[in-house]
Amino acid sequence: MSSSSAAAGGDLVRRMAAVVGRAQCISDPCGLLVYECDGLTHGRTRPGLVVLPGSTEEVVEVVKLAREAGLPIVPRGAGTGLSGGARPVPGCIVVGLSRMNRILAVDLENGAARVQPGVTNLDVSRAVASAGFYYAPDPSSQSVCTIGGNVAENSGGAHCLKYGFTVNHVLAARVVLDGGEVVDLGGSAPDTPGYDLLAVLVGSEGMLGIVTEVTLRLLRKPEATRTFFATFPSTDEAGAAVSGIIAAGILPAAIEMMDRLAIVAAKAATGLDWPDVGAALLMDADGPLAEVEHVAKRAVEIARAAGALEIRIPRDEAERQLMWKGRKSAFAAVGRISPNYMVEDGVIPRSEIARVLRDIEALAREARLRVANVFHAGDGNLHPLVLYDARVPGEEERAAWVGREILRLCVRYGGSITGEHGVGAEKVEAMADMFGEADLDTMSRVRCAFDGLARFNPGKVFPTPRLCGERPGPYVPHPAEISGEVERW
Amino acid sequence: MVAGARQGTPGDAVVGVVPRLVLEPASVAEAAEALGALARDRLAVTFVGGRTEIELGPPPATLDAVVRTGRLGRLVEHAPSDQIATVEAGMPLAELQRLLAPHHQRLALDPPRAELATLGGVVASNAFGPRRHRFGGPRDVVIGMTFVRADGTPAKGGGKVVKNVAGFDVPRLLVGSLGTLALITTVTVRLHPLPEAERCVLFAGLGPAEAQELVAQAKVAQLEPSSVAALTSGGALDIAFRFEGFAPGTAEQCGRLLSLAGKLRRSAELLDDGAACGFWARHDAVRTGGSLRVKIATPPAALVSIASGPLQRMLRSALSSGAAVLYPTVGIAFASGDPTSAEEASRAVAEARAALAALGGSLVLAAAPPAVRALADVWGPPPPSLAIMRRLKDELDPDHRLSPGRFVGGI
Repeated sequence: MSSSSAAAGGDLVRRMAAVVGRAQCISDPCGLLVYECDGLTHGRTRPGLVVLPGSTEEVVEVVKLAREAGLPIVPRGAGTGLSGGARPVPGCIVVGLSRMNRILAVDLENGAARVQPGVTNLDVSRAVASAGFYYAPDPSSQSVCTIGGNVAENSGGAHCLKYGFTVNHVLAARVVLDGGEVVDLGGSAPDTPGYDLLAVLVGSEGMLGIVTEVTLRLLRKPEATRTFFATFPSTDEAGAAVSGIIAAGILPAAIEMMDRLAIVAAKAATGLDWPDVGAALLMDADGPLAEVEHVAKRAVEIARAAGALEIRIPRDEAERQLMWKGRKSAFAAVGRISPNYMVEDGVIPRSEIARVLRDIEALAREARLRVANVFHAGDGNLHPLVLYDARVPGEEERAAWVGREILRLCVRYGGSITGEHGVGAEKVEAMADMFGEADLDTMSRVRCAFDGLARFNPGKVFPTPRLCGERPGPYVPHPAEISGEVERW
Repeated sequence: MVAGARQGTPGDAVVGVVPRLVLEPASVAEAAEALGALARDRLAVTFVGGRTEIELGPPPATLDAVVRTGRLGRLVEHAPSDQIATVEAGMPLAELQRLLAPHHQRLALDPPRAELATLGGVVASNAFGPRRHRFGGPRDVVIGMTFVRADGTPAKGGGKVVKNVAGFDVPRLLVGSLGTLALITTVTVRLHPLPEAERCVLFAGLGPAEAQELVAQAKVAQLEPSSVAALTSGGALDIAFRFEGFAPGTAEQCGRLLSLAGKLRRSAELLDDGAACGFWARHDAVRTGGSLRVKIATPPAALVSIASGPLQRMLRSALSSGAAVLYPTVGIAFASGDPTSAEEASRAVAEARAALAALGGSLVLAAAPPAVRALADVWGPPPPSLAIMRRLKDELDPDHRLSPGRFVGGI
């Protein structure tokens, strides 16, 4: 692409500054440093320019200027993503949406909130909590991650087992397309006639356009929640308990598993008095009181029958929150027991949990590394944390190898290479393990329908990027090449 | 002539258009071959399942061939402990439910005419029933698909695990696309446990404002029904709340709803199994009856006001023996009957659309006689994203051979 490797020229910076204001236009090397990566911190790339628009109108102008300059655009929320979905490409314009952080309207009667993309996930729930409502998807980073980022990644969280993912909770979105057109998808009424473009926008990793407004579904809080924490000799018994609970017709709000190493780490970080055991489960059941009491009682019985060592039921909400804090802090807590670690995100059929965990252990042994496992057991979403020491030559490479092999394992068992972190820049190659040429080509055509020049967030999701209009077979120049808008690299 | 095709008959007609050829592939591979052959001959094709939603959409602009999915009827996989199933597109929904029931599982989609409606058709036409309140529609339970593209290329999207964000969500995009982007060949769905108990509470003869208040109060009370549905013939509304789950939970929720009724000074009754069946049979009759059927969508809280306004006038003046089903928590209503005259019907449709436009809602003709189709557009005003939809069609069906003219905006 033209001028893709150089920093943005002074003229473009001036014109962008005229749109968003000088202070919202970052071009100095120190300022750009912050934007070189997201939550996936290796593979840094410096952007050409960062702009922080404050309105849909400003986003439109920014997109038009970027198009004129022939520069790719990388949208960015809070930068908490763990797959490099907001990683810049050389010379690109990063459009940071953190300033667009207002809740525009709350409509409790219809259970909906219209928000800007820079609002954090938790702020939505906070804004409606006093009325007894909440926003269901709850990624672990919910206190900092933004709704725009959630839409891009189709974020989940512990409670999506019962309540679904971002895609099930977005009613409408306003999107700025490549040509600067503003389009509304979905609406305040269900089933807008036509293709469900909203469904494909959610989870498109910022590759179809820039979302500048989102209407979210709000749910009435459940009447009651019952939580228990159960310990087991090993992940085998814990896995059997999960299977038993599901087989009994129970749909928990969340059911999370931690293995020995993850429990050790969580204890080290939070000071919880959890015992040293092979595995633990943390389960939430929620809904109308009588139903929940019944469900929780049966789940506890099933856990006991599966070999639970101990079952703890929180005495009050504070103790319950502490249990969840232990679980939610498990990722970062691993830092207490290892100088470095890599977070993986893969999915397997729930029934294969015990076998896959043994396979992961074998991989770790082969690589002479330790792997801690924290995961959403109800939907088979694994988060193996591969521990290593970057100072020891070869360990980082071996850790990366373990990560890749775990993803292959997930595909082999019929699962997925990502359950909630997204493909981003990190897993583009793994996409080819899961999808064939025709599958990827279909996705690529969908992208072309939105963004004919493939300028939004290039280098993500697809293992082999392709220009729109380009089909496998004899070379035919793309219309944009003929018009001089893009070059073939 | 394409290999394996038979001559089309009037029984194969799609909204009055009889195809020259009919193909009935017996496997996904055969379906891909059939589409490849049709592509080579540049023939226009419409995909047909159980014909339950065949009247949705205008007649095809051209129709050379129909591909029927009836012989794609296998259960490819059912993993009870993972609560998923992969089914060929031609399997009737009721048959799938029969295969799942011994495992105490079900697919939580309940459109009417489940004996005929095929999985592929349900998904392609976005068909749903009252349980959408709790479980969502087809887009909320579909987790993967295989499909054949217009040129005969087989492809897939999604997977067979519920949680999966790898790649663009092509399966959800195909939900409701009415066979205009690809032929759906298998569908992988998330399953739910069959409830241990099911109970219904009925409120008969409510006015619109009372119905609205009741629905709002049930939400405030944190009741969690699996369905909320109202029936009307243009006057008062009968509303049923269905609770599903474990016996102690459903009993307690019914009890609380009945005491809420007392507080609101409304009479309500707990239905026995026979009476509950009767209510849902009436519901199904409205959803499937009449030669004119419309689907109305509004923001949920506005539905009842539409019901007492333009919908009521439609039922009283434009439809003979007209009736409507409302899902007030979802924001969807279906009205059906026989038009008193095409002019009256199209006037009522136009009036309802004007009222709905102000609310961001829509009205679609799910079925209509030719005389009404001549006066009223099936889909109504196209959405603002029509340009993207057209480009999507160009990308996936560049020759516009898949059900041309059947979709929104002439797609």
